[in-house]
Amino acid sequence: MPVTAASDTSPLLAVRQLSVFYGQFRAVDAVDLSVRAGEVVSIIGANGAGKSSLLKAIIGQADRIEGVISYCGEDLAGQGTAEIVAKGIALVPEGRRLFPSLSVEENLHIGWEVGRQGEIGIEDVFGFFPILKERCRQKARELSGGQQQMVALGRALLANPRLLLCDEISLGLAPVVIDSLYKLIPAIKARGIGILVVEQDITRSLAVADRFYCLLEGKVTLASRPSATSREVVMQHYFGL
Amino acid sequence: MTGVRNVTFQFDKRLLVLIGRGVLVLLAAMLVAAPWIFDLADLQVITELLCLLVLAVMWNLLAGYADIVTIGQHGFVGIGCYAFYAFAVFTDVGPYAAILLAGLTTLVFALPAMIVVFRLRAAYLAVGTWVLAEVMMLGAGKIDAFGAGLGISLPVSVVREFGGNIAERFTTIYWMALILAVTAMAATYFLMRSATGIGLTAMRDNEEAAGAVGVNLFRARVICFLWAAPFLGLAGALITLQKLRIAPAASFSIIDWTVYIIFIVVIGGVGSFEGPVIGTFVFFLIREYLQSWGVWHFIVLGGVSIAMVLIEPRGIWGLLRRVVPGDLIPVSHRPPRGS
Amino acid sequence: MAGAWANQIIQGILLGGLYAMFAIGLSLSVGIMRFVNIAHGDLIVLVSFLLLTLTTRLGVPLLVATAIVVPVAFVGGYLLQRLLLQRVLGQGVLSIVLVTFGLSVIIQNALQGIYGADTRLIQGGGIETETIQLAGGINIGMLPLAIFVFAVALVFALDLLLYRTRLGARIRAVSDDVASANLVGLRSAHIYAVAMGIVGVTVALSAGFMSVWTNFDPTSGPSRLLVAFEAVVLGGLGSLWGTLAGGIIVGIAQSLGAQVDAGWQLLAGHLVFLAVFLIRPQGLFPK
Ligand SMILES: Nc1ncnc2c1ncn2[C@@H]1O[C@H](COP(=O)(O)OP(=O)(O)OP(=O)(O)O)[C@@H](O)[C@H]1O
Ligand SMILES: [Mg+2]
Repeated sequence: MPVTAASDTSPLLAVRQLSVFYGQFRAVDAVDLSVRAGEVVSIIGANGAGKSSLLKAIIGQADRIEGVISYCGEDLAGQGTAEIVAKGIALVPEGRRLFPSLSVEENLHIGWEVGRQGEIGIEDVFGFFPILKERCRQKARELSGGQQQMVALGRALLANPRLLLCDEISLGLAPVVIDSLYKLIPAIKARGIGILVVEQDITRSLAVADRFYCLLEGKVTLASRPSATSREVVMQHYFGL
Repeated sequence: MTGVRNVTFQFDKRLLVLIGRGVLVLLAAMLVAAPWIFDLADLQVITELLCLLVLAVMWNLLAGYADIVTIGQHGFVGIGCYAFYAFAVFTDVGPYAAILLAGLTTLVFALPAMIVVFRLRAAYLAVGTWVLAEVMMLGAGKIDAFGAGLGISLPVSVVREFGGNIAERFTTIYWMALILAVTAMAATYFLMRSATGIGLTAMRDNEEAAGAVGVNLFRARVICFLWAAPFLGLAGALITLQKLRIAPAASFSIIDWTVYIIFIVVIGGVGSFEGPVIGTFVFFLIREYLQSWGVWHFIVLGGVSIAMVLIEPRGIWGLLRRVVPGDLIPVSHRPPRGS
Repeated sequence: MAGAWANQIIQGILLGGLYAMFAIGLSLSVGIMRFVNIAHGDLIVLVSFLLLTLTTRLGVPLLVATAIVVPVAFVGGYLLQRLLLQRVLGQGVLSIVLVTFGLSVIIQNALQGIYGADTRLIQGGGIETETIQLAGGINIGMLPLAIFVFAVALVFALDLLLYRTRLGARIRAVSDDVASANLVGLRSAHIYAVAMGIVGVTVALSAGFMSVWTNFDPTSGPSRLLVAFEAVVLGGLGSLWGTLAGGIIVGIAQSLGAQVDAGWQLLAGHLVFLAVFLIRPQGLFPK
């Protein structure tokens, strides 16, 4: 059933006391977090802090979790990734994870097929990234890293998400390329899409964020607004000093 | 849990290992005494089971440790049968030397086979070995000296060399089968405790870790393949002595030397030393009680082994191992699971 | 004499069409799901016996019977993958080999229990005796020709399905990287099962052809598997056109072997396979 727009006060995504386990190991520990429509929320944290595990849990790809993940007021427990994506959450996975033998166009179209099939179409993605239109018949594996990241982002956008999860989209890319990707975030936000951005690059991440959470060894050590927090305080919580 | 209860709990479980080892020792003692306590028919059955055990130990070594999932084991058994016949009948090396030479011949055949086997990865390898076995069987059926497609009986003169009367002969064959089984298990045991074996065990448990330990996996797999071959050939020679004839269909029987063997190991437990022993015993029971069911006993075996893979890929021993805290035959130096 | 050899080559090419039919399904499962189904040949034989029951017991014409069996085979393939094979797919090679191997033994013996060990052949309603006369005393059977043409058409159609349709793109996506597919919301288990359903369709079609052209009995499966496997490996893993070529090579080798001596047909096929494999282990048309 399509979920009607939530009122302004209720968040798009509300995560309560979420823990994610690998066997006995607790990678995410009792995290509380929320994202509203049209809001950019950033998660920062060092290597192994549990950022990717958190995103995987939201998209329904964690083996075992405790706690509640609710989206538009609905508990996502027991739902498969395909259902979650069809409801409007899309992930740009860490490491891009394109289908290397598929063409650019086929990769993008898969995003459309699994998603909500709304107003964002393939031409919009080509509008964001004109280079992809030129390359649309090429195999994904033949693209440069930056172009692959564009396809990964485009694939997620084509799912017409109401909540977009981005896992380290700047990883391994040149600064100019990262700039061109990050420039899109305000445009996506303007469409009323909630965005959860995971980054290790604190500066870049906080520059686009309305609010942020700092993760350390699976726990939230700080939740605040970039404008309200000094760099020293952020660093303290980032490294757990 | 209090300390005291914990101790008794541990003690109970350790006892299971001792009981298990006791059963093994009892079994071994029974095998040594077998010629005096069993009649001829039973002795024949045990001889046959010992040969199957040898084949099972070798299949387990390949599939369970060396990642060589072969469906062509019957090819090498058949080579052993034919080579034994050739050396025993066409040369005058003597019957016992002919048995040993049968093992050697199988090893020689294994060398070129490696070119095919080690170029095929994973599941393709399984069918590839089957093609090789098929070629060996069809090839054997083309040689007139071996009776071509029909096969040929072992001359009475050769048979006599192993004993003047039936009882004497079967006892001799029994001893040879027991020696072969013990040798096969001991040799494989030492292989598994060598650097090669420890590397393979590491690979079975975690491929990356094995690479990190610095084990040359390719070399280890080659060693296992060449390790198994002569034992298959020796078993083939002893099988020929029991059947008293060679023939393409019987000597290269996929049912007897591959299908049954796979069921034995899968049901008993792949990748453990206890597995083939348990499997051979269970197979014996199933055969005794269900063989009258004809084709349905195959269906039961197939169904049980599929269920095994789904429920406990490590077979009956894997199931027991959930309760028993240690291996009966400690192959690896790892601490017991779950401690 | 040269005419006899030329004739054997032509017959071999046509035989290769049947072998390609056996192999196409195996090629799909190797290319997409990356496993070899040891029971592949037995599934072909199983469907042949189904056709036998439909045609002889119920008097349904063979074409109609095949049309009935094809959708059944799709559902069968789907369920086989979804309920059984999918569960062991992540467990490694050994598990998948053992499960399909167990299945193979079960199918063979169940067929033997139900139908007995007799050799069977289904009457095709006249087409199997029709021939076309060519110059030089070469006769081409209508049935082998039809099967060959059908095999080429099937490869063509499956190639289009895989590389020109959305379903094909989804199948290739899952085949590329299951974990990524799951992450972005593709239902990989369902897609694999659909692929196996398509394999089931090719199995049913090849069973329809096999059952009128060659004798079969409950234990015929393994020999069909070996031929199919050889065609797939010779052609290059995952290439459908390669599989067709591989089937033809095995067909020609067997046909020429039979010309030398009837008893050499099978052995010649295997030996040529081994020889070509040693020269080109990656196959003729590797992807
Ligand atoms: N599949 C897994 N099995 C076991 N442990 C895992 C697995 N994936 C992650 N972990 C562990 O969980 C913890 C959190 O990992 P996660 O990938 O979520 O961190 P991250 O914050 O995304 O790190 P990075 O910045 O390196 O991407 C790490 O200690 C990691 O080793
Ligand atoms: Mg991460």
